Amino acid sequence: MAAEAKGAGEAAQPLLAVRGLTLRYTRRRVFGAERTAITAFHDISLEILTGKTLALVGPSGSGKSSLARCLVLLEQPSSGEILYRGKNLLALSRKELKPARREIHLIFQDSASALNPGLTIEEILAEPLVIHKSGGTLAERRTLIREVMKQAELPEKWLGRRPLELSGGQRQRVAIARSLTLGPKLLVLDEALSALDLSTQGQIANLLLDLQAQHSLAYLFITHDLAVASLLAQEVAMMSAGRIARRGSPAKVFTANLQAGRGLLPSDSPSGETVPAPLISQGK
Amino acid sequence: MARVARRIVHGLLLLAGVSVFAFALLSAAPGNFFDELRLNPQVSPETVAALKIQYGMDRPLPVRYLRWVASVARGQFGYSLSYHCTVGSLLWLRARNTLLLTGFATLLAWMVALPWGVLEALHRGGWVDRMGGAVTAVLLAIPDVLLGLLLLLFAARTGWFPTGGMASVDAASAAFLGRLQDAALHLFLPVVALALGTIPILVRHVRSAMVGVLDSPFVEAARGHGIPKWRLIYRHALPAATNSLISQLGFSIGALLSMSLLMEVVLSWPGLGPLVLEAILARDVYVVIAAVMLSSVFLVIGNLVADLLLYWSDPRIRAVSP
Repeated sequence: MAAEAKGAGEAAQPLLAVRGLTLRYTRRRVFGAERTAITAFHDISLEILTGKTLALVGPSGSGKSSLARCLVLLEQPSSGEILYRGKNLLALSRKELKPARREIHLIFQDSASALNPGLTIEEILAEPLVIHKSGGTLAERRTLIREVMKQAELPEKWLGRRPLELSGGQRQRVAIARSLTLGPKLLVLDEALSALDLSTQGQIANLLLDLQAQHSLAYLFITHDLAVASLLAQEVAMMSAGRIARRGSPAKVFTANLQAGRGLLPSDSPSGETVPAPLISQGK
Repeated sequence: MARVARRIVHGLLLLAGVSVFAFALLSAAPGNFFDELRLNPQVSPETVAALKIQYGMDRPLPVRYLRWVASVARGQFGYSLSYHCTVGSLLWLRARNTLLLTGFATLLAWMVALPWGVLEALHRGGWVDRMGGAVTAVLLAIPDVLLGLLLLLFAARTGWFPTGGMASVDAASAAFLGRLQDAALHLFLPVVALALGTIPILVRHVRSAMVGVLDSPFVEAARGHGIPKWRLIYRHALPAATNSLISQLGFSIGALLSMSLLMEVVLSWPGLGPLVLEAILARDVYVVIAAVMLSSVFLVIGNLVADLLLYWSDPRIRAVSP
């Protein structure tokens, strides 16, 4: 009975919860002390559940990638909280962050630049283990690396190759395998399928679904491809001009947007700037 | 191996081209060594004519060039009209001194520029970067000659360092360690002067190479894993930035050599600099040509070494090269 209650509690608590997250850049004008503040996104709140996929869709410049970078702590947000397993990552020390860093990984769109071109695939896969001093002895690490290669459906003979000797799809598999070495719980996939051809997209999408089923992985799937978002995600959050405009099941969000007469996705920012014009404010 | 041989052949062809140009340009330049002699009333026109014949300067340019090539093959590099000896014997000792100077200066310049540039790149836009940028800008703006003169003034005022030469008068009688210390003291000023002239350029190259790499997604992926900063630099960023830095190393050797010619004159270092200056003033053509050739040889060797280092360090170059 107690175990059931505990299980129900864990299921209710989101793996990752974002509360009122805002990212603002300040830019100093050339030859002037005046600073311009540019808001990449404002007051974002969302939850990602264990083993589930949340798709984050929106036009270019709506702040999706900036949010992804904040979630893996590559950017420091201006305000708000990132709660991982109930702990605010922004309030933790470097040492306390280590467990979260092991479990949250970012997969980039361009796999060619996301893998160090000077290292072999084996070295690339070993790197997270070395950084986190995990994986046991050298022999155990080798076994683990071969295991994740198998999971990512990569042949073992490619371990000695370098990233540029592989195709885009194969490199994206290596990037996914690199995350798997540390036993991740959440993958932030930033347009991870966008640079691939349709057939390879399908293969990688299937791989992601298989891995999710095997490891109960949670995905934050950032994309502007609504078909893929509907296929992979149980929930969709639509970003527009740095805010979450709609949230819900894929069918509900896309239907609501069509009914609002905005097409499937809100249009790009009219100013053509990367960061939407309405959120640009003068001074601090 | 085939790659090395091909690069050496390219280098030799380049040197042959440089030698032809050097010969042609020096012949086209107004005046020659014998014009000075003609002005001397104690030397008769017949003697001047006899000397021209003796040194083969009355022959047409192609003949002189071929004779010079033959003397290069014998290691003589022609004959110095001022010093009355083969250029080869004159040049080797001076070249050794210049190499000693540029070798240490290159080493010092890279030892300072590498961490400096990396530090600036890591703190891009911060006060470390801005201060570093200001210092390199000031160093770039100061002419090399002025830099040499300022160091000379410093040595003269403090008396901490000798103001010229390669060894003290009594150095020969000193013990080994004493001679070593004496040589180090004499080397210090010229090495620092040369290095200070090169450091700002190198710092800017290192910084821009590192900034480019630090922005790449594979570095961000490593940062996302929580990689310690020192490992990020030596494992990922520096090796990836190496390509452009190695190419720069080849050029820096050639540039330092050219710069050292001037600095040797200012700081009285007995290298190629003072010899070349005297040779140019006296129209001692074969010495000038040999110095030009030696400069080119250093540049070619520097670039050859850089190419081989690139081939060794970058698997992508190995993958496309036969």
